[in-house]
Amino acid sequence: MPTPLRSFACSGFQEVAFPRRSLLRLGGAGLLGLTLPRLLEAEEKNRGSAARARTVIFLFQFGGPSQIDMFDMKPDAPDGVRSPLDAISTALPGVPLCAQMPRMARVLDKVCLVRSMHHEMSNHNSASYYALTGHAPPADDIRLRDSIDLYPAYGSVVDHLSPPSPDLPNTVAFPHVIRDGSITPGQSASFLGKNHDPFLVTDDPNQAGFHLPELSLPEGLSLERLQARRGLQQIVDSQSRLLEHAAEARGLDTYYERALAMLQSDTLRDAFDLSREPDALRDAYGRHTFGQSCLLARRLAEAGSRFVTVYFSNSIGGQSTTSGGWDTHGFNDTRMYPIIKDYHLPLTDQTLPTFLTDLDERGLLDETLVVWMGEFGRTPRINGNASRDHWPHCYTVLLAGGGVKRGFVFGASDEQAAYPAEDPVRPGDLAATMFHLLGIDPHTEVQGAGGRPLAIASGEVISGILA
Amino acid sequence: MKRYTGAGQYPGDMVAHLLSIALLAAALPGADRETVPVTSGPVAPPIFRHDVMAVLSKAGCNTGACHGNQNGKNGFKLSLRGEDPTADLVSLTRDLFGRRIDRFEPENSLLLLKATRSIAHEGGLRFENGSPPYQILRDWIQAGAQDDRADLPALSSLEVRPAERYLEPGEETFFLQATARFSDGSTRDVTQLAVYEPSDPQLEVSPGGQVRAKAPGEAVILVRFLSLQTPVRVFKLQDAPGFTWNPPAKVNRVDDFIFAKLHRLRIHPSAPASDAEFLRRAWLDLLGFPPDPESTRRYLSDADPQKHARIIDELLQRTEFAEFWALKWCDLLRVEEKALDRKGVQAFHRWIRDALQQGMPLDRFAQEILSARGSTYAHPPANFYRSHRTPVQRAETVAQVFLGRRLQCAQCHNHPFDRWTQDDYYDWTSVFGGVRYMVLENRRRDDNDKHEFVGEQVVWLAPGGDAQHPVRQQAAPARLLGESTPLPQDADRLTALANWLTGSGRLPFARVQANRIWHHLMGRGLVHPVDDFRATNPASHPELLDFLAEELAGSGFDLRRLIRLICLSQTYRLASEPRPSNAGDFVNYSHVLPRRLDAEQLLDSLAATLETPLSFAGYPEGLRAGQIPGVKAARRRSGAGTGGDHFLEVFGKPPRLLSSEEERSCNPTITQVFHLVSGELMHELLTGPDNRLGTLLGSNLGNEQVLEQLYLAVLSRPPSAAENTALQAHLDQAAGRRAAFEDIAWALVNSKEFLMRH
Repeated sequence: MPTPLRSFACSGFQEVAFPRRSLLRLGGAGLLGLTLPRLLEAEEKNRGSAARARTVIFLFQFGGPSQIDMFDMKPDAPDGVRSPLDAISTALPGVPLCAQMPRMARVLDKVCLVRSMHHEMSNHNSASYYALTGHAPPADDIRLRDSIDLYPAYGSVVDHLSPPSPDLPNTVAFPHVIRDGSITPGQSASFLGKNHDPFLVTDDPNQAGFHLPELSLPEGLSLERLQARRGLQQIVDSQSRLLEHAAEARGLDTYYERALAMLQSDTLRDAFDLSREPDALRDAYGRHTFGQSCLLARRLAEAGSRFVTVYFSNSIGGQSTTSGGWDTHGFNDTRMYPIIKDYHLPLTDQTLPTFLTDLDERGLLDETLVVWMGEFGRTPRINGNASRDHWPHCYTVLLAGGGVKRGFVFGASDEQAAYPAEDPVRPGDLAATMFHLLGIDPHTEVQGAGGRPLAIASGEVISGILA
Repeated sequence: MKRYTGAGQYPGDMVAHLLSIALLAAALPGADRETVPVTSGPVAPPIFRHDVMAVLSKAGCNTGACHGNQNGKNGFKLSLRGEDPTADLVSLTRDLFGRRIDRFEPENSLLLLKATRSIAHEGGLRFENGSPPYQILRDWIQAGAQDDRADLPALSSLEVRPAERYLEPGEETFFLQATARFSDGSTRDVTQLAVYEPSDPQLEVSPGGQVRAKAPGEAVILVRFLSLQTPVRVFKLQDAPGFTWNPPAKVNRVDDFIFAKLHRLRIHPSAPASDAEFLRRAWLDLLGFPPDPESTRRYLSDADPQKHARIIDELLQRTEFAEFWALKWCDLLRVEEKALDRKGVQAFHRWIRDALQQGMPLDRFAQEILSARGSTYAHPPANFYRSHRTPVQRAETVAQVFLGRRLQCAQCHNHPFDRWTQDDYYDWTSVFGGVRYMVLENRRRDDNDKHEFVGEQVVWLAPGGDAQHPVRQQAAPARLLGESTPLPQDADRLTALANWLTGSGRLPFARVQANRIWHHLMGRGLVHPVDDFRATNPASHPELLDFLAEELAGSGFDLRRLIRLICLSQTYRLASEPRPSNAGDFVNYSHVLPRRLDAEQLLDSLAATLETPLSFAGYPEGLRAGQIPGVKAARRRSGAGTGGDHFLEVFGKPPRLLSSEEERSCNPTITQVFHLVSGELMHELLTGPDNRLGTLLGSNLGNEQVLEQLYLAVLSRPPSAAENTALQAHLDQAAGRRAAFEDIAWALVNSKEFLMRH
């Protein structure tokens, strides 16, 4: 029996041609009606690719950390290119690391370095959008603004294609909304709809008494009283009969169910309760926003969230030793090396190895994919400010766990860490790999703004790094 | 009439080839018509542009998912849906050192080996070895894979019969017939070569044009042959034994159109909504918040049979009407602080609101905006061009907002579902190429943020400014959308545009605006989405749309008159509660489809209901959300907005960057529900000592009266007996009276009846 022709023309195209117009079919278009078939469809598409990772923890290093001063040292490069930082040997033979990261050096055999990531976007917002969605932005422009014709954040795609969980969000992002001038695109569900936005927490996990604002009730409102209110609400709802005949109303009501479940369940509250961790471990992660955020990410992975995004900083930074991201140009008479030596490197060297070791010791690393990356690397040539500028043409991504090889280096840069010399990959390939490891077919299509059928990933799985 | 069969270059050679075309149906998978193979006569080579290109489309080779992809597939790229036969000829015959085509051993052509999966083909089997499509390609290759003669007749129209079809419950199938007409006047039956794309999987169309409707419903089949496409509408009626038409009384012409189609579909309209529901609906739709208890009481006790009309007229005269409807235009015209700055936002918003308040005809409104020039402070409509900084942005927005056309696809390739070509796109873009800015000052806070403008600008028009056509590599002549001749060189392009839109473009403009007004009142455009007008996305009620457009144009583009006409119809007044025959109808307005209130509507409704003023950063306390001119007045960096600002963002107030109704989101989310369940703002509204509860409980009213007042304020109706009993019980057992009423108020504002427009 030959394949029917129609099934081959991309199915989304037919939906673009006309908005769906199905009359008389019962149980049709409501919130719930749409969810189930989509899930089934995604599940069907995924048959055969078993999930290796239950959760992805995406540690986004806003500003752009330098490849050549950290995970892709070039001790033999000429002056003006070579890092002024010394290189030390690591647990991974032949793979040096800067001397400012001795603890990281000891756990390098747990990770997989991809040294040939590259693209062409040299502005923070356009490059970050690429890193956070896996799709090249329409323009490499600082003016790229968040809007629903851009692609959704990874976590939103995962949420869209995952079964809803009753008392825990599938995708969580914290502790910042990142912006460079305007809000950096790629942090929301965009055209997938606000119901798939990552569950956003902007309180600082390092603050004493950190808790989830949504889970705290205003003074005088106990859970019992809330439950009583819900009872009264149901009495009023039963009068209008809207729940009986309007799918929209039922959809809204399911969110009440979920909100009350979340308020009553210990799962989410506990996941956010960092005080349940021993002080020594909290100290080891680092008593700063990034350290405690990574600890929170681990707790969410344990609880069952599927995609957790941690933003290192809310801004590109690079000019301060107390806050901000990795954007060390040496502007305003600052200098890159004192700043990263005092701030970014020690902080990272405290948190990242602790985090990886903690995951590993709990047996979580195998089912949790950790991704540590910035939107780009930094120029191989040191600039006039003894600092480095933006460099998207080749940089390093650190991966660990979740089905990727341990103690492995994939791809290579040239002798100045300027361009990929072997196995070049792009953010879209990393996206495909993450989806694949989560058991989601990277070719799955979703419906974009205006009904365009869009594949969730623009690249191919990097099979060379799969364990 | 001359019969042009397209089978060969010379009419004398056509016969045999015609037969092989007829065989196509039998060979393509799923074929359903018996064909009798006949072999006789000489075979003329197939025509590349008519036969070969049609086969590539029919077999799906040139779709976006396959070789029509921007990057092709596996090194083989065809133009999307065959828009560029010349390029495809090169791809087929020259690329890969010509290996795709083997003129000496046609059967060894890579093209055929792949399509028949004789060698591995990721796209699977496209057609069988020896099948008619195979033969068309093979014969064309054998004849030398030649290009066509220069005088090949061009395709001029595609007619499909029937244009629409109602299928009775017993009927499942019927046949389509597609006829192509060529520039030399000849016609050809292309049923076997056309591509059929149904809008709904409940409809199936075989390659031979047989339609099968699997379930009751309404859908469109897009029939495509080469560059042309035609829609066919199919209605599969539900089985309704003993159906007897007994609708509510019709009130005006709107009902004639709506009810006629429902009757034909055997769907009943629901009963009219109660007076209380109608009143609430009208206030929410026209003013953006529900009626106060006094207005409700007065309306409900009014015995005047004309009270519907009276209340609509009253509401339309209120300033809140102009304010609420100004929001809709502000969304589309990108009235936001970053591009316009605060002063510009206020000026443009005030101009829009005043235009609505004063009843400026919609055509003049459009004209003023499109031809605007001058200082963005002194002449507010010039802010439209201030926020649209590039010719492409201006061209796309004007097409979308004023003409209901989405041109975006045509920036990179001919529009796949519409008639717009890349030429149309760039010629139209050239109309807007002369807009220039004199930036008198820019006090932006962030030098790196090129979006931000703080200070006065003057919009002016330079001569010329043609866009560069990326494929032709030459300047595109300024040409109005759909017109055949460019504007004169010396024309003031913006003025020419404004005059055209309200002159010869008057009815299309009226249709788009009438549809948008209908959408705002009925929840769904007759053409849906409202800015996606095209032949392949037909209106659900084309005659009604024409009627509304003529009414709008005939009334001098009077917004209020059209709203009045729609609001007074029985259709607008129908209840949301379905009847058995219409529960599955979502597109024919047989009953009202409940939807969540918009962000501003919801917040203003909460504030009005609980009698607590709101505050928004940068504005005096007491401003309603519906009165906010822009998106966010407070600078993000100088501190967060108020709870009200945050509420609007969470509930989907659009950032106004897209010029489309779709940017406004009414999807419920878990975060929204947390705001409603236990959010700070909700808590403040409920517990404020001076709120409505405070007033009611401070009076000497008993529980029953307080309850009734509260119900009227929140839900515009008194409590039912069952509610009275249940809530009295709650009050009786509660520890404190105030707390118990707060619980009740919470339940009321969290009821679907409050949160939704129904």
